[in-house]
Amino acid sequence: MLLIIILAVPLIGAFALLLMRSLKINISSITSAIVLVLGGIGVKSVFEEGPISFRIPLFGPFTPTFYADHLSIIFVMLAAFLWFVVSIYNQEYLKHEDGSLGFEFCTLLTITAVLGIFLAGDLITMLLFFELMTITSFFWVIHKWNKEAIRAGYFYLFFSIVGGFFLAFGIVLMGAATDVLPAIGTGFITALDFRMFAFSIILFVVGFGIKAGMVPLHLWLPHAHSVAPTPGSALLSGLLIKVGAYGLIRVGEFVGWGMESRDGIAWLGPCLASLGTITMLVGVAAALLQSDAKRLLAYHSISQMGYIILGLGLGLYLGSNGGLALLGAIYHVINHALFKTALFLGVGIIYIQTKETNLYNLGGLWRHFPMTAVFMFIAVLGITGAPGLNGYASKTMLHHAVSLAAETGTTWVVWVERVFLLVGVGTAASFTKLYYLMFFGKPSKIRTFDKVSPRLLVPMSLLIVVMVGFGLAPKVFPTYAVIPAAKALGMGNAASNMNSLSFWELGNVLGMLITLVLGTFVCYGGIKSRAFHWCPPVWLTLEGLGKLVALKIVTLFRMGEELLQLVTRFFHNLGKAMRTHMISDFSKFDKNRSGTIGRFKLTGISADAALLIMVLVFLIVWYTIQNPELPQVLNI
Amino acid sequence: MIALILALLSGVVGGLVVAFLPQTKRGLRNFIVLFFCTCGMIFSWGVALKVFAGESVRLASEFGGLTFSLDPDPLGMVFGLIASTLWLITAIYSFGYMDGKHKQRTYYIFFLISLSMTLGIAYSGNLVALYLFYELLTFATYPMVIQERSPKALKAGEKYILYSLAGAGAILIAIVITYVYAGKLDFASGPILAGSLGSGLGWLLLLFISGFGVKAAIMPLHRWLPAAMVAPTPVSALLHAVAVVYSGIYGILRVVYSVFGHALVRQLGINALFLWVAGFTILLGVIIAARQDVLKKRLAYQTISHLSYILLGALTLQPWGLAGAIMHMICYPTSKIVLFFCAGIISEQTGETRISRMGGIGWLLPKTMIAFSIATLGMIGMLPLNTFWGKYYLMRGSVAEGRWPLALVLIGSGIINAVCFIPIIVDAFKGERTRANIEQGKRVVFMLVPVFLLAAVSLITGLFPGIVWPFVQAVVNYFF
Repeated sequence: MLLIIILAVPLIGAFALLLMRSLKINISSITSAIVLVLGGIGVKSVFEEGPISFRIPLFGPFTPTFYADHLSIIFVMLAAFLWFVVSIYNQEYLKHEDGSLGFEFCTLLTITAVLGIFLAGDLITMLLFFELMTITSFFWVIHKWNKEAIRAGYFYLFFSIVGGFFLAFGIVLMGAATDVLPAIGTGFITALDFRMFAFSIILFVVGFGIKAGMVPLHLWLPHAHSVAPTPGSALLSGLLIKVGAYGLIRVGEFVGWGMESRDGIAWLGPCLASLGTITMLVGVAAALLQSDAKRLLAYHSISQMGYIILGLGLGLYLGSNGGLALLGAIYHVINHALFKTALFLGVGIIYIQTKETNLYNLGGLWRHFPMTAVFMFIAVLGITGAPGLNGYASKTMLHHAVSLAAETGTTWVVWVERVFLLVGVGTAASFTKLYYLMFFGKPSKIRTFDKVSPRLLVPMSLLIVVMVGFGLAPKVFPTYAVIPAAKALGMGNAASNMNSLSFWELGNVLGMLITLVLGTFVCYGGIKSRAFHWCPPVWLTLEGLGKLVALKIVTLFRMGEELLQLVTRFFHNLGKAMRTHMISDFSKFDKNRSGTIGRFKLTGISADAALLIMVLVFLIVWYTIQNPELPQVLNI
Repeated sequence: MIALILALLSGVVGGLVVAFLPQTKRGLRNFIVLFFCTCGMIFSWGVALKVFAGESVRLASEFGGLTFSLDPDPLGMVFGLIASTLWLITAIYSFGYMDGKHKQRTYYIFFLISLSMTLGIAYSGNLVALYLFYELLTFATYPMVIQERSPKALKAGEKYILYSLAGAGAILIAIVITYVYAGKLDFASGPILAGSLGSGLGWLLLLFISGFGVKAAIMPLHRWLPAAMVAPTPVSALLHAVAVVYSGIYGILRVVYSVFGHALVRQLGINALFLWVAGFTILLGVIIAARQDVLKKRLAYQTISHLSYILLGALTLQPWGLAGAIMHMICYPTSKIVLFFCAGIISEQTGETRISRMGGIGWLLPKTMIAFSIATLGMIGMLPLNTFWGKYYLMRGSVAEGRWPLALVLIGSGIINAVCFIPIIVDAFKGERTRANIEQGKRVVFMLVPVFLLAAVSLITGLFPGIVWPFVQAVVNYFF
């Protein structure tokens, strides 16, 4: 019952918002606080007594099922916390934007949908909330209604709709493979038809991968996240792409965490790990070339999701030793949500005052926005993995998981480790660039800015507090929250895997510091040599490739259409020719009740009668030939 | 049995009453139309309850050696319910749309008579009755197609009659051949041709499906449908998106399941051909739709595409496939009729028929475009709308038959549907927001109420498909 209440609260809040818009209360913050409290009750209940499950017993093919185990409730708390933080921010930010009521309404509905996905108990319930989320978050992206926003909105909507279709197809195949659709949280599936099970897993990975921003399905992400209003971008990057990660974890649960993958599905771990690595690399490489702050952050979202997907892949690949990888991935989901939201909120503060997100037009702002600069600095330290903050904790865990896998010596894992370090350097470089260009450097315009309202700074400070807390005591959160979640998913050795890891070991700390310093040097070199301004040729970017392919397909269609028109016109002309000829012949018959066809002269019978008789004779003859016993059947 | 007779008579009697009413008494005429449509609906629900309870509702008579029987079974009952319920809703819409137009009396006469003909097709118990009502439906709907009496309308009517009669001719030949093979023509005693062996059976099936396929707008027999869009919007919505085309689809379902039986069709091995045709129509229909600028033509081609969903489901010969087909039959009109009705409201209130000139129309007609958006999601086949369930079971049926590429065809069609319609909605809400709202007046209320009713139904049945599930189950259990 608690689960339904958690879902109902933001929904009621959305309609309350419409009805009570004259009152000046911040309904969003109140509802989010309520959900936080309820979520806390849920945490206590789930961690002490075990998973909660709730079914609405409806007749028919669809029984809405809700389920909360450790993983779900952690994600619910994350969603509620982020929502609470952003709702305080919204109060001030939306004064600078039009259409704030619509935006808040869509936010509350999207939160309902996201909570629904996290609390869904079976695949169709999850799909229902997934589609609802697509529809409501579309309005975030398209909020400004200018050409760029509409383009990004189309991209986002179509990719999400396709993702939903892939999920639906995956559910169909899963239903065919196992006869009864598995509920979420049942652990690994022994399928009747293993091939179909494998295909359905592929479809699920594609569907959730689109949402998670996995390369090559990430094309919508940079446009959508940069064109939405800042709180929308913050929640898109901080929360909605985590839905993809959540889905991938649940899919992995069907395959089986903490056990050797069975033949036929053993490819999933390496596949996810490779895709994750590519995602990390593509994200960081593209981010280095960006000049718009929000697009840079969006590409970093892609890159950090790559870390998470890599962790999930390694968790599957390493089987019972994959505890560290899975723990690192889940921990990184939480951490990334925290620091990415903080970064977006900071960029939003700058944007309100300067109306500018292009990094090369900003500069020297630390004087005017001191608090923001400090908070952003801590967030940057977080995302680059500086020791003492939460990013360091999850990245170290993931690094150790990669090293553990690399010990086996398989070529691709060794390369994964190298790329891992490279991406770390790249992330540091990119954020040095962001921070330097934004807050230091030559101030291009000298203006006096208004004082930043505390309502904009309080949310960031809340996030920073949590981040620093996690960073200074890196073992606390995993031990109390993530390990039980991993255990519930099936990864039994999670605790023992983490015991071998010491966060403050000198090797780890030193390694991270070297990465950061290298990154700073790369950034310096990049800016001085203007390498960051390189625009890749169209065919090298995925998006350009996609556009070229689409254009070719459209050309093919045009050719096909012309061909079809040719064929139709041919038949049309043929029909017309036949008609004109026949009509002239028939009219000859009609006029004098007799006429000539070729050499035969027919008199005394009208043309139509002649035709009918011919057709009847033909039919009778043909039918008699086909069925020689016919006269006997029609025995009169 | 009384319910059956009354259901069939309510349309004809209503039509006759309206015929004798003077043209000026508009209010009275509207009331009478409403009354008889409601009667038709109530009595068809009465028949449905009886069929659900398992009672046999049969009405047969013999003349000249031929039996003519009415014997609704679950499939007929479902079709009858869809038809009569949507007829009532369209009647309400017509009160708004036809207000102030010429020749309203003619329109309403044939509107009511077509209701009876459709119910006759639905409740037919043997091929004779089916054929009789099928032909009568063509003639009953013809005056509505040529309502405008413009040269274009007359040409469209001519095309309609030619195509329909050619199809009916093919059906008649096929019926005669069936009688010769099997000696009986009624549906209730199991598939007519079950147990027959013969080389010509595959051709017979082809003949039947081509004949019914004309009305069911299977490509390449579909060309009458876009031309018939010249009819008034309620006619396009109900007849050419639901009643007439559904009678074609219903005919195909009857042929495959009641005349041949799914076991025999599987034996003949010919269902692959029809699955190809269905898949081809599904994709090509929406692709052509995307190229149309006139909104009603775009909706017409989308209709052609979606009808083949039902054909696809029927010919997978799987229980899941048939369930998907029936589910789609029930759910698709709730979205399609909304789209047509909105197109009608747009053309009546603003005079626009071309999509390229419908920019910013969402601010003139906000409620209409919101309903249009909901219905578009229905056409794409997304949760939380009910068409998702039809699509889901169609995909399950395709996979169960081993033909998973059909599921990809369905997904592709959903995406192209999105491409067709979402830009219309986005363009409608672009631009300045300060334009006056012209959604006022009693006329518009009559037009909007059915729209919102159907949109609400599509959302509710999407979230709670259990409401329509008993009907689907009844049909599938009857045939499998």
